[in-house]
Amino acid sequence: MIFNMKIMLNYIHRFIFFVTLITLSLSSNSIEVIEILGGKASQIPIAITPFNEEIRTMGEVPDKKNAFREKMHEVIANDLERSGLFTSLDTSGISTIPDSDILINFSNWSALQAQFLVVGKIITIQNRLITRWSLIDIYKEKTVLSMEFSGSKKQYRGIAHKISDLIYKKLTGSPGVFHTRITFVKKKSQKNYSLYVADYDGFNQRAIVNSSQPILSARWSPDGKKIAYVSFEKKKPVIYVQDLTTGKRVLVANFKGNNSAPAWSPDSKKLAIVLTYSANSQIYIINSDGSGIKQLMRTRSINTEPAWSPDGKEIFFSSDRGGNPQIYKVNVDGVSDVNRVTFEGKSNLSPSLSPDGKLLLFLTQDNGKFRVAVQNLLSNQVLKLTKGPHDESPVFSPNGHMVLFTYKDYGKTTKIGTVSINGLKVTPLRVGSEAIQESSWGPITSN
Amino acid sequence: MKIILKLQDNYDLQANLFSFVIHFGLFIFMLASIQWQMKDVYYSEVELWDAMPMQVKAQPVANKKKSADIKKLTPKAIEKQKQLKINEDAEIKLKKKRKAEKKAKIKKIQKQALKQEKIEQLQKKLLEQEKIEQLQKKLLEQEKLEEIQKKLLEQEKIDKLKESILDQDVKKNARIAVEADQELFAGSNTGELNKFKAMIQQKIYQNVNKQLCGLDLVELEFEIQLMPTGELLGEPKLTQSSKIESCDQALERAILQSQPLPVPKDAKLFSKLKNLKLKFSPNAYTE
Repeated sequence: MIFNMKIMLNYIHRFIFFVTLITLSLSSNSIEVIEILGGKASQIPIAITPFNEEIRTMGEVPDKKNAFREKMHEVIANDLERSGLFTSLDTSGISTIPDSDILINFSNWSALQAQFLVVGKIITIQNRLITRWSLIDIYKEKTVLSMEFSGSKKQYRGIAHKISDLIYKKLTGSPGVFHTRITFVKKKSQKNYSLYVADYDGFNQRAIVNSSQPILSARWSPDGKKIAYVSFEKKKPVIYVQDLTTGKRVLVANFKGNNSAPAWSPDSKKLAIVLTYSANSQIYIINSDGSGIKQLMRTRSINTEPAWSPDGKEIFFSSDRGGNPQIYKVNVDGVSDVNRVTFEGKSNLSPSLSPDGKLLLFLTQDNGKFRVAVQNLLSNQVLKLTKGPHDESPVFSPNGHMVLFTYKDYGKTTKIGTVSINGLKVTPLRVGSEAIQESSWGPITSN
Repeated sequence: MKIILKLQDNYDLQANLFSFVIHFGLFIFMLASIQWQMKDVYYSEVELWDAMPMQVKAQPVANKKKSADIKKLTPKAIEKQKQLKINEDAEIKLKKKRKAEKKAKIKKIQKQALKQEKIEQLQKKLLEQEKIEQLQKKLLEQEKLEEIQKKLLEQEKIDKLKESILDQDVKKNARIAVEADQELFAGSNTGELNKFKAMIQQKIYQNVNKQLCGLDLVELEFEIQLMPTGELLGEPKLTQSSKIESCDQALERAILQSQPLPVPKDAKLFSKLKNLKLKFSPNAYTE
């Protein structure tokens, strides 16, 4: 009897389980799916508030009130805007500016259409300054980053760049390049050329080479320790490699004919250079100390402007083998087939590759105008970043999000500027009234 | 007693019974909750009165009193006239008496005739009055009847209206049910649904910042729950990551930024869009 009851109950149990399953599956309707293909190249709206300054004295009378207050947040805003990925919002309409991530009136900031908010406070004690800052997500109403940096008063721009880097890394996933340096050549007169190193935004310039002859094609080694450049001081172009810490330089290439267009291998050990050793321009590979020269390939056409792929296996270059200059690529061993890479435009030259190897940066000739362009090597889509008409020598920022290039202003003087990789933001660098040219971008360094 | 004893010993049985009870309870609860969600058919309430209370009309009292007075006076007048005739017979001669008697008789007859005529007229009048009263009564009754009939008609109308309302509701429900069935099983009436899906798609697309998603063809999936206002209920749930944190976050922001999303006011249609799966492919070539 009990046994039978057990069996029966077991069946009832199963039946109930089954019924519940069915009812559950009926009640949960099939979910609707919406597919959203593609997207836009838009900018993240970010509000960067002026950092309040608190001066703590040690018995002294405080000097120059608000010495850094306006500058710190402006430096950060300029950094982020220059990348083309952010748009800095005007916060002057907000009556009460918070200086920490507590007591944030989120409705104020969402009314400004801000997605993120940066607030901060500077505490100066004599010659030191402490910066406390926070990055706040307005949508999620929570603090994303909250940090404190301290340093000397002279380092305030450096601290601001560091803050920009951290915000950039947090929100874009890519490292920021606001703490990097660039080089450029100032032509002070026909007989006075100087190679300068400066912060990426043109501040803190210092000359590392002065010459009565032109200086060209300065290139930073990927490890950040050396700079290779072309100098005419021997009455013809020759290639030097200069150590940035010691200031010592090595004459790497002084072969018969012209020695030009040095390009560092990704491991900073080799250089691809161009020699007119045998009649026309050909690409050679040489060790950075000047030893072990080897010709990449032997052709009748001109091959010049070499650029390494980030994996160090391929070299992209410009060649007139098809009539007009176009960009081609070849394996470093030089034995494989040469493949043409660019097809749009009358001529394309000055190639370089993004750090991930997915974008090709070059100069394109378009109706007589020279413009900076990028080509997606996966889709082969080309995006022209600048308007021209006299742009030249484009180089990638070390994260591949910006391009440094030379252009001619209205007075036909060459100047340098940055353009974001989406083409949305062009920023001139104010580094001097002289002719500025031949710029290059240094790597991201740990310090 | 035996069963209780058995139950005390047999834990399996206890457990099974317990689970049965719990399941049954849950099933009842589920039914109750579904029932609770069901929309009741609306009945309009109408109070019905079986008949109007009878109205008694005031009778014309003055007419009756006058006729009664006339009736009372007539016998007394006749006796007085007889006594006067006897006195005259004693004093005046017989001829005169006879003449007088004749005259009196004639007069009497005439008077009587007049009186009779009057009486008759009065009687006629009374009859007429009675007839009028009767007619009035009849008219009143007819009026009452008519009123009752009107009421009945009205009731019928109301009944008809009620029926028609009921019919409409039933038809409406049936139509909705049919539509829902069609949506469920045949996938028809997807036009309206697709319209809102397209609107939602377009609104979110405007906020997709593909720049934070690298260059590869990454794909992401979010699941969202919507409120009838088009606002999100809770946070978007990432069900498939692009493996690029900044990309995942950028698309989450795109969803949040798109609030309120366009949603239908119709509850049935909204229920289909309440839970959504959003598939993104920000670097897909769309043109």
